[in-house]
Amino acid sequence: MRALIAAGIGLAAALALVFAITAIGAPPGETSKKPLHTTVPDRP
Amino acid sequence: MRRRASLILLALAVFFAALSPLIRWYAFPRLAKIPPSQYQDMVLEAKNATLLDYATMKSKKVPKVSIVQTLKGNVAAAKKVKDRTGRDVVVWDTLSHVADHKGKMVSQIPERYVFDAHSQEPVHAGGEHVDGDPVRRQGIEYKWPFLTEKRDYEYFDFQTRTSAPIHYKGTRTVHGLETYYFEQTIPWTKVKVPKKLPLGATPETVEQLGLERWYTTKRMFWVEPTTGAPVDGQEIHKEEMRWTDKPGKKPLTAFAGHVKMRPDYQEATVEMVASQRQLVLTMTTYLPWGFLVLGGLLLAGSLALEARAAAAPRKGRGELRDQLHQSRSLQASSGGSPSPDHGRAKS
Repeated sequence: MRALIAAGIGLAAALALVFAITAIGAPPGETSKKPLHTTVPDRP
Repeated sequence: MRRRASLILLALAVFFAALSPLIRWYAFPRLAKIPPSQYQDMVLEAKNATLLDYATMKSKKVPKVSIVQTLKGNVAAAKKVKDRTGRDVVVWDTLSHVADHKGKMVSQIPERYVFDAHSQEPVHAGGEHVDGDPVRRQGIEYKWPFLTEKRDYEYFDFQTRTSAPIHYKGTRTVHGLETYYFEQTIPWTKVKVPKKLPLGATPETVEQLGLERWYTTKRMFWVEPTTGAPVDGQEIHKEEMRWTDKPGKKPLTAFAGHVKMRPDYQEATVEMVASQRQLVLTMTTYLPWGFLVLGGLLLAGSLALEARAAAAPRKGRGELRDQLHQSRSLQASSGGSPSPDHGRAKS
């Protein structure tokens, strides 16, 4: 019985961690200030 | 004490074993995406190309034609589409700027490309266009999906404004990276004249001259399959201005050349893709397999501790039994027949 509880705690922690990370996601950032090129750049 | 440690190890074993498939099949598809703010540029070149001189309306050989492609993620537009559709999308405002060897503009074609940030499938949320003409894209453009498969894909051709299969043709190695090679041939097709041309020429003036634009290309991409990013791209591209009312008259070559990535841009792309590849592999391979192995080891440790904890009381019980047996033997020897030495001492 104690083994089942320990396994359940491990599983719940894994699910909580993954759900939290995916829910937070990555910030969208901002639109770049750089222009759309109308000249040929010298370098990347 | 050993029992408690065994239970903690068991909980950790389940934690890591569960994380393995969760990261690969749940977290990765949700976390792997093109950022809506991405900005990227690329320069392609066609050396010894043929170009139409709009001043003389004659084709001429030029040492080099450059095609500068810029992709700029529009975060505000992506947020609006997300609010409306609930999907993670990327809105790319792009410009294909073509310049001759002197850097003078040959043509410019802007585009807006709206697509799913995770799957790279087009999202029809309005605003999609090529050179100001509304389009409804099917298939991919510029980038393949993460974990690209060895199969044909539908690829959108912005010149014809249509999609056609781009065929998987096998694996190739580019700068040490394994890539999937794709090829698409667009047969001669009548296409629209770009709205921005040199010397103030417009589609209307071209039409008034009795000309229409035709185009064919063989498009080649070498795609790094983990990230879905092309690390090399080439086109054998031909454009003609054909006489609408004079089918026998020789067409004017508007452009003909073998377009390739400029080497410095290709090197920068390979470097960027190689680092992004490691990130994707961390989510799809390194962490899932690492956590699975770690879970297995922790489970083995937990079982070993449990076995030792179970063996300890048995061992204790065995020692007690031996002690009891010894004490009974002593009692029997003191109360029963005397030993020879004991008898001699008495006498």
